[in-house]
Amino acid sequence: MPHALLIKFPGTNCDVETSRALEAAGFTAEVLPVSELAPEVLGKAQLVVFSGGFSYGDYVMSGRISQLITKHKLGDRLKQFVADGGYVLGICNGFQILTQLDLLPRGSLIHNTTGRFICRWVPLKKNSSTSPYLKLLPDNFELPVAHAEGRFVGETGDADKYVKDGHGALLYGKNVNGSSAQIAGLQDDTGRVFGLMPHPERFIGKDTHYDPDWNGAERGWGYYLFKGVAEALAA
Amino acid sequence: MSATAVFRTIPVRELLADQLLDLSKKMKLSLSKADMLVVQQIFNDEGRDPTDVELEVIAQTWSEHCKHRIFNAKIYHTLNGEQEVVDSLFKTYIRATTEKIMADKPDFVLSAFVDNAGFVKLDDDKAVCLKVETHNHPSAIEPYAGANTGLGGVIRDILGAGKGSKPVASIDVFCFGPPDTKQEDLKAKDVIHPLGIMRGVVRGVRDYGNRMGIPTVNGAIQFDDTFIYNPLVFCGTAGIIPIKDIAKEVKPGQLLIAAGGRTGKDGLKGATFSSAELTTDSHEEDQTAVQIGNPIEEKKVADFVLAAREAGLIEFITDCGAGGFSSAAGEMLSEVGGEVYLHHCPLKEPGLESWQVFISESQERMVMSIEEHNLPALQAIADKWQSEIFVLAKADGNKRLRVFHYDSIVCDLPVDKLHGAPRREMRAHWRQPAALAPKVAVRPESWTQVLKTLLADFAIVSREPIIREYDHEVQGNTVLKPLAGAAGDAPQDGSVIKVDGSKQLVALACALLPEWGKNDPHAMGRACVDECVRQLVAMGANPQRIAILDNFCMGNPDAEKELGALVECTKGMAESAIAYGAPFVSGKDSFYNYFITEDGPVSIPVTLLVSGFGIIEDAKHVVGASLRRAGSKLCLIGGTTAGLRGSVFAKYTKGAGLDGAPTWKEAATWASYEKYHELAKSGAVLACHDLSEGGLGVALAEFAFSGKAGVKVELENLPATKDCTVAELLFGETPGRLLLEVAPEHLTAAKAAGAVVIGEATNEKYLNITLRGSTLIDAAVSDLKSIWQGGLVPYY
Repeated sequence: MPHALLIKFPGTNCDVETSRALEAAGFTAEVLPVSELAPEVLGKAQLVVFSGGFSYGDYVMSGRISQLITKHKLGDRLKQFVADGGYVLGICNGFQILTQLDLLPRGSLIHNTTGRFICRWVPLKKNSSTSPYLKLLPDNFELPVAHAEGRFVGETGDADKYVKDGHGALLYGKNVNGSSAQIAGLQDDTGRVFGLMPHPERFIGKDTHYDPDWNGAERGWGYYLFKGVAEALAA
Repeated sequence: MSATAVFRTIPVRELLADQLLDLSKKMKLSLSKADMLVVQQIFNDEGRDPTDVELEVIAQTWSEHCKHRIFNAKIYHTLNGEQEVVDSLFKTYIRATTEKIMADKPDFVLSAFVDNAGFVKLDDDKAVCLKVETHNHPSAIEPYAGANTGLGGVIRDILGAGKGSKPVASIDVFCFGPPDTKQEDLKAKDVIHPLGIMRGVVRGVRDYGNRMGIPTVNGAIQFDDTFIYNPLVFCGTAGIIPIKDIAKEVKPGQLLIAAGGRTGKDGLKGATFSSAELTTDSHEEDQTAVQIGNPIEEKKVADFVLAAREAGLIEFITDCGAGGFSSAAGEMLSEVGGEVYLHHCPLKEPGLESWQVFISESQERMVMSIEEHNLPALQAIADKWQSEIFVLAKADGNKRLRVFHYDSIVCDLPVDKLHGAPRREMRAHWRQPAALAPKVAVRPESWTQVLKTLLADFAIVSREPIIREYDHEVQGNTVLKPLAGAAGDAPQDGSVIKVDGSKQLVALACALLPEWGKNDPHAMGRACVDECVRQLVAMGANPQRIAILDNFCMGNPDAEKELGALVECTKGMAESAIAYGAPFVSGKDSFYNYFITEDGPVSIPVTLLVSGFGIIEDAKHVVGASLRRAGSKLCLIGGTTAGLRGSVFAKYTKGAGLDGAPTWKEAATWASYEKYHELAKSGAVLACHDLSEGGLGVALAEFAFSGKAGVKVELENLPATKDCTVAELLFGETPGRLLLEVAPEHLTAAKAAGAVVIGEATNEKYLNITLRGSTLIDAAVSDLKSIWQGGLVPYY
């Protein structure tokens, strides 16, 4: 079984359901408090996960303190981990952290245009045929979002470029938070590093969909995201 | 920074009664003359004068907030001219109700009234608990911080329930002044406009709940002029714990360990502040009574506490709430006694006086007792989760509370006397106003227009702008969400969450009807219990496995009529709880919700929040409140009776609210719920919605807001008493009624269960209601929905 390591900062709060989702997809999952984070722990993992939450309260800028602490504790080892074939997934606050860690194409996640926290389900469009995270998902599906700082912005022209070249692997099906080019998720050149604002771990079974008549697939769409990585690692 | 204690001795032994009262006022102790005489006696017995620390400790411990002295008082009550003595509202109507139900239903309630929250059995190894607190006074003067720490406080209640319960869902209920209140109508300086209160309170709850990762799944908001000066903010949290970890005990020799945030000058005297009325001066003088929240500190403590409990290290745990360490350590040492070491306590800033360290309500602190040899293991877990801990005290079995600050003893009191607050005697009366016929008969030109007016009323409009600000999906277990239907935006009766490691689910709901309380508090008490239970039953909870909480708020308890309304409300509530077999497992009260304005005192109406949780035994039993398919039949359970008093409709008519309240009988209602449950278990119920504010008309519209079908109903089929007018059939709010969607193939079963067919779900997305064939209401569902959805948007 592939091993997933979920790094938990003070304020990380989606670790339990994300571990549950990873296990459902065939991973062994381990939640590691940041106090015990050290370079050598990466050795036993195939997938490193930054889950949702409000690490250190996100008072400065979402994900900023976590990025500094991760850099301080791991140096370049996380980049090396990816270069050696490792996978990294960031969900919501985890995506925010990843954008600061130089593991994804440049860009930031800032306050939604409404200035509000938004908790709702959103339509999503797949914009990558190669992403291991998305390969089991259809072109159009939906997942819940819950964030105040989910609006993707980049330097002029970057967002459109990411959509064209496939770095913008996941797009919103409608304007949710003001994201440039409706970008909901980004991947790196290898496709092994992926960050997204929506919460796949909240839609593992049909029972957590808002409509009791939903029958889009055998399981919730989020399951297929985790399963896709598990299959890629098994291959 | 001086390494000595700062405290002083306060001479009380020579003072006369009036001088004692003056001292209480000067020190803001909120203790009465009678209380102060007892305090004087304690120190006469000790043969010395008290320190300021001791007086503050006694004041916090005896405060209404901590000891619920009004609910335990002897009340001389007069009802419609007849005198009676109520020997403790709590014992007579609340505890007795629960004890009777516990005797009737063994193995359901596992504990009640003894811990931070009551526990109910979920399955063979897990229990569920729920606690609801109010944070009214702080939210009135500092809405964001008040609501923020209100939710933070109740989450700690759950962390301190049993040996540490895991918080899994939150409920938030607010009463505000109307958002469109004119600024010039505020009759006191410095009062915050209802819009400012609403925005601050919602954001306060949002920022604590979301950061803690606890889904806010359920709630309610009431708007009324009476809440302009005294908004009500109820915060509730549900928790899960292994049954084996419920029982807890402090034994001599154990260490008391404090964990979490540091101690500062924020939140001084909150317990006594909340036990007095508000004035304009409160806005200036009592700011230090409001605490400052830091949810990430609490998240760290929560992770630490749950890990320490799983490691089996915790013998007893409670939260630091009102009264701070004095209350937490005081409670933990109330049987055995012990020594407290204030100088061990890490401070936010130097220079706190001894009493400030001991009673500060700085947030995010928990106190637990452990066996001394487990300290290194506990420290390792605290380090792992980055929570600061220190040894606050040691239990010694000497039955005295001895508090050390550096080399000085700043408090040395016998625990029995500290916890022996004198009992109050109070007077109350209530006269039930007679039912008056409406002065003007209600014959509107267009019933469709009336429906639109009701859908736009603040009591009914969609809460979506607020609901979307709360993360109601975190933890990934929210099965029935606050908004559902085809587009995920239609209202529900409550919420249902799954529980990790259990097949059973938990439904959560709440009910409050302050409008009823103005004229008929007894009926309000009954109706709140009914509505909460009914919502839980509607969602699929087993009616035999429902537990409820009572949270009372009222104005001035020293005003006999106001206290009389509270007595009647409590009686009504207990009556229905017994009939439904729904035990109270915890509760709370908040008094002095009145404000001295330029025009004199304004009190809130007596307000009861009944929140509850019920066990749903199988995921297949969960029923939502949104219409699912055209062609199914619409049925009603429960009859409609005349009377519009307290209804939303009555607000729009001159005098209709003066007629009687609708009548209903608990025994028949209860029997119908049990039949409904069997029907729901069989899978025959596609959807079910309770009839509440706005009656049948609004319930049908909300049913159709699912976006999946329209509605066609003939009112002649409605089970109703003959004296009902059209207004009562359409918009009356008789309790006990459920609206069902049933697939045609299950109609026989539904009828056998007492459901009466009143119409059907149609392909055309219209709401069409007729009476004997002639149309009363005909409107496109989309038109109605946009009115309902947009109501709060301009204000939030």
